[in-house]
Amino acid sequence: MAASPKEIPVPNIEELFRPTHDERARQGMVSMIRKHAIIDMRRALKADYDERIEPKLEREGRKPEDWAAIEKSLEREPSYRFYSTIRYNAQEMCYLSVQPAVERALPAMIDLAKDLAARNPTGGSLRLNPNLEIPRYITALDVHLAPGWVHAEYTADDVAQGAVVAFGGKVFSGQHPYRKKAGAVGESISYWLKRQYPNFKPKRILDLGTTMGKNLLPYCTAYPHAEAYGIDVGAPVLRYGHAIAEHEGIPVHFSQQNAEATDFPDGHFDLIVSSFFFHEVSVKATKKILKECNRLLAPGGVMVHMELPDEATVSPYENFFWNWDTLNNNEPWYTSYRAQDPVQLCEEAGFGRDRSFKLHVPDSLTFGEERYEKFMRGELESPAHGSGGWFVFGATKQ
Amino acid sequence: MTTSAEVHLPRQTKGKRPHFFEDPSIDQMMTFLLELTTEVGVLRERLDTVERLLDSEGSVTRAAIEAYQPDAATEQERAAWRDAYLKRVLRMHAPE
Repeated sequence: MAASPKEIPVPNIEELFRPTHDERARQGMVSMIRKHAIIDMRRALKADYDERIEPKLEREGRKPEDWAAIEKSLEREPSYRFYSTIRYNAQEMCYLSVQPAVERALPAMIDLAKDLAARNPTGGSLRLNPNLEIPRYITALDVHLAPGWVHAEYTADDVAQGAVVAFGGKVFSGQHPYRKKAGAVGESISYWLKRQYPNFKPKRILDLGTTMGKNLLPYCTAYPHAEAYGIDVGAPVLRYGHAIAEHEGIPVHFSQQNAEATDFPDGHFDLIVSSFFFHEVSVKATKKILKECNRLLAPGGVMVHMELPDEATVSPYENFFWNWDTLNNNEPWYTSYRAQDPVQLCEEAGFGRDRSFKLHVPDSLTFGEERYEKFMRGELESPAHGSGGWFVFGATKQ
Repeated sequence: MTTSAEVHLPRQTKGKRPHFFEDPSIDQMMTFLLELTTEVGVLRERLDTVERLLDSEGSVTRAAIEAYQPDAATEQERAAWRDAYLKRVLRMHAPE
């Protein structure tokens, strides 16, 4: 008797990535250099600022009052220069350290992704639009210092950038205390949603700028009866993400679309999410996308986006820390995005102000269940964004 | 368009490269230094693999090095070594 398609295991595209002994060692080193910059040197820089630089400027009556003045005060300090150069180089090396193994695996990865897109053994789908114009805010620079970012295609049916961004991301977060597990954000926010809205049962979920869908999959696990949709402008990451979801046994409908204007009908979704998304698009696009979310969200629905904390939410020093990426990590919209109040943005997009929110939620993988219940009762604060918590904003619809 | 077997991914990033030092040669030197630091770590890990194979097998081949998969305890030991190594190599002078 022939086995039904469900009984044949779906191969894992990620197992085709086979770095050599030395490439693996290099990736391990780069993860640790990245950790050294973003944890150890970041801490040393803050201490140098607090204990030496700020007191000195204060004595001279020149205490920096905002993030830009703090940055200016640090520009010539060795603690800032070496923190910055090591962080910048580590970021580049994340992608460089995985590219050779991706190049070798590419023909087999493409064959597998093509086969899974034709068969959809798990029941998802992949809909690409070769005529889609990739916005200039995505193509003008290589975001995150990743050559080709999510969109560049070098051969037919290309998945290379999916693999480069996925494995480069693993090197990037390999030694980070809160980002080791791909999908930690989706997991944390769906955990919060289940507690915040215990009776909420979405029928359709949409993830904007889904890349490989790794932060969408935890929502599918949290709401197994919902249909899941992920959109992105980059074809290689969608092909790659589709192959992963089919392997994971989670049906996801991926489509290549610009979130500013999608082809979904009005009120089609009752949960709209995104992770690390809005700060990568222009401010003009942010406003259009939130209006599109308002059009797509059904009555009774919830919209929740994980984003960087806005300028007004954190201290001037923390604003300096976050805005570093604007010029030094090829994320040109970072500062101007963060300068806006997300609640105001929701209101301008047509969501009720009293139904819009912004808050930090704990990282569910590391916070602990008991402490989480205390957080839900308002007895305990969430750790800061990226340090054991995640910043979110969004709105509900009547 | 090239076939998938011929793809060579670009190694250069599109966008203006920032300089953190007055002399951009120092920015370039930092890249050399960090790449070299990484290569020393790679070499050290290869030696560690050779030693572990000699301990367990009494002999070593290139194929055995390639096939070697560290267990979780070994991986942890190696991570601790890399951490301590970087803290030594990237030791900062006390601020003046």
